[in-house]
Amino acid sequence: MSTNKRKGAANGVTRQEIMAVTAAREIRDGEVAFIGTGLPMVAAYLAKYTHAPSSVLIFESGVVGAQPKELATGVGDLRLLHGCIKATGLYYALSLLQGGFVDIGFLGAAEVDQYGNLNSTAIGDYRRPTVRLPGSGGANDIGSLARRLLIMVPHERRRLVPRVQYLTTPGFLDGPGARERAGLRGEGPTRVITDLAVLDFDPASKRMRVATVHPGVTVEDVEARTGFPLLRAPRVGETALPSAEEVRLLRERIDPEGIYIGSKG
Amino acid sequence: MADKVRSLQEVVASIADGANLTFGGFAAYFTPLALVRELIRQGKRELEMTSVAECWVADYLAGAGVLKRARFSNFMFEGLGRCQNFARGVERGEIEVEDYSHFAITSRLVAAGLGVPFLPIKPMAGTDLMRKQSFDAEKARPFACPFTGESVLLVPAVRPDVAVIHASRADREGNTQLFGYTSVVDEQARAAQRVIVTTEEVVEDTVIRAQPELTVLPGFLVDAVVEVPFGAHPTGMYRYYDPDFEFMRDYYAASRDPAAFRAHLEEWVLGPGDHWAYLRKVGLRRLLALRSDPGLGIAHMHARTVT
Repeated sequence: MSTNKRKGAANGVTRQEIMAVTAAREIRDGEVAFIGTGLPMVAAYLAKYTHAPSSVLIFESGVVGAQPKELATGVGDLRLLHGCIKATGLYYALSLLQGGFVDIGFLGAAEVDQYGNLNSTAIGDYRRPTVRLPGSGGANDIGSLARRLLIMVPHERRRLVPRVQYLTTPGFLDGPGARERAGLRGEGPTRVITDLAVLDFDPASKRMRVATVHPGVTVEDVEARTGFPLLRAPRVGETALPSAEEVRLLRERIDPEGIYIGSKG
Repeated sequence: MADKVRSLQEVVASIADGANLTFGGFAAYFTPLALVRELIRQGKRELEMTSVAECWVADYLAGAGVLKRARFSNFMFEGLGRCQNFARGVERGEIEVEDYSHFAITSRLVAAGLGVPFLPIKPMAGTDLMRKQSFDAEKARPFACPFTGESVLLVPAVRPDVAVIHASRADREGNTQLFGYTSVVDEQARAAQRVIVTTEEVVEDTVIRAQPELTVLPGFLVDAVVEVPFGAHPTGMYRYYDPDFEFMRDYYAASRDPAAFRAHLEEWVLGPGDHWAYLRKVGLRRLLALRSDPGLGIAHMHARTVT
């Protein structure tokens, strides 16, 4: 592991910046994206500023087609309303998921397991938890219904666990065919983007594997920081670095205070 | 014309201990907190919430020790963190929880509003949201579509006793308008047996009729109207005022410790005897600094901090 563990980076680019840029590149132009607070918002704004200007950003609060202006403090922030296409309600926004209109959703979580299932409900016993987390919100709806799910989490052993303590949001549940049996839609999770690597899922077993490692990180580093045995993609490459223009947009236009990308950290 | 305008004390007195309540609001916006403070002042007990994301209501009621149970999808203070009072109450076994996804809990309200006993939905299947049950008789039942055989989940209608909605403006008959996004206000109002609207301003019905596209609730759904300017404070109202982030940070700091939070409640809720006394305590200067810019609908970016 390199010396600058958390923020560390090649060419002065932070790992959060690599995460944001990698996530942004997952949004294709013209797609409808369901966006949460934090790095997903940063990534979505970057996508709109670069390769995906026609993508439509939806927030569960009922904001449809938000403009990438000032970074909002959350999905409820009224700043998202200014210049959006449609101000509506939560039920309408989430109905778009069930109706099959949403291409991609982004989620974080307290725990992720090897099948990409997420926990954002509780640590410990459900009724008497050690730590009560915020709860699903729209996460389960996004994981159940968006065409593709992208997961963004810090890479920690306590977070990437063999089994989530409460299964809030479905990844591939207990393996191949499980989503279909449950009647869920969409492909399920396609990528897990962490501060060390990009992970995807083995097509046959639906188990998580290393796809690319960020510059300066080894596959062994990634395995050591994962709480379950990780598979490896046939050829594990290196995550593409952000371009100078992407970094400039992140630092100067999208998150100038470095709240999410840590450039001032 | 039925004049439904009432006082805050009067409508809160009509809410019974143990009532199943559903509140408007989303994240740091349009939350009926003037009414919530009055619930606490009147010593209501063992309340139940049917809720989507009304974090401020849940945390105030939890911190006052009057929340018995919540069926909900997400309580989180965006930009601050977990709801400390609420989380502590659950962790100590004092508050019972029944977790849903946003779409599932809203669908239960929609079913009630549509007058059907259940609705089929797609999310929650295969997860602990479906499997793990707490106080609800039945959360969701897997079902094969009788026409196509497709797997769906059936969720039963839920009919809260009272919906409390904080709105931008309403007339005396209860025709109600809310600017900006509307969360699940319409679904909550149609599901509930009784609807109380608190509002920034009571206006003539001609004001409503001039812009009918802004109406979220026709008056026949509404039982009472209460005029409470700054009634969402410290949360914000689009085109009226921004959230009071400084107040929220102070609240959040106090909520980390039960004794500190009791003091906060004493100072800001129980001490001021009513909503007007509360506003006097917050202070005119601070309230005016939060006012929205008419063009933006929110406050000027650099005018937020009271100096």
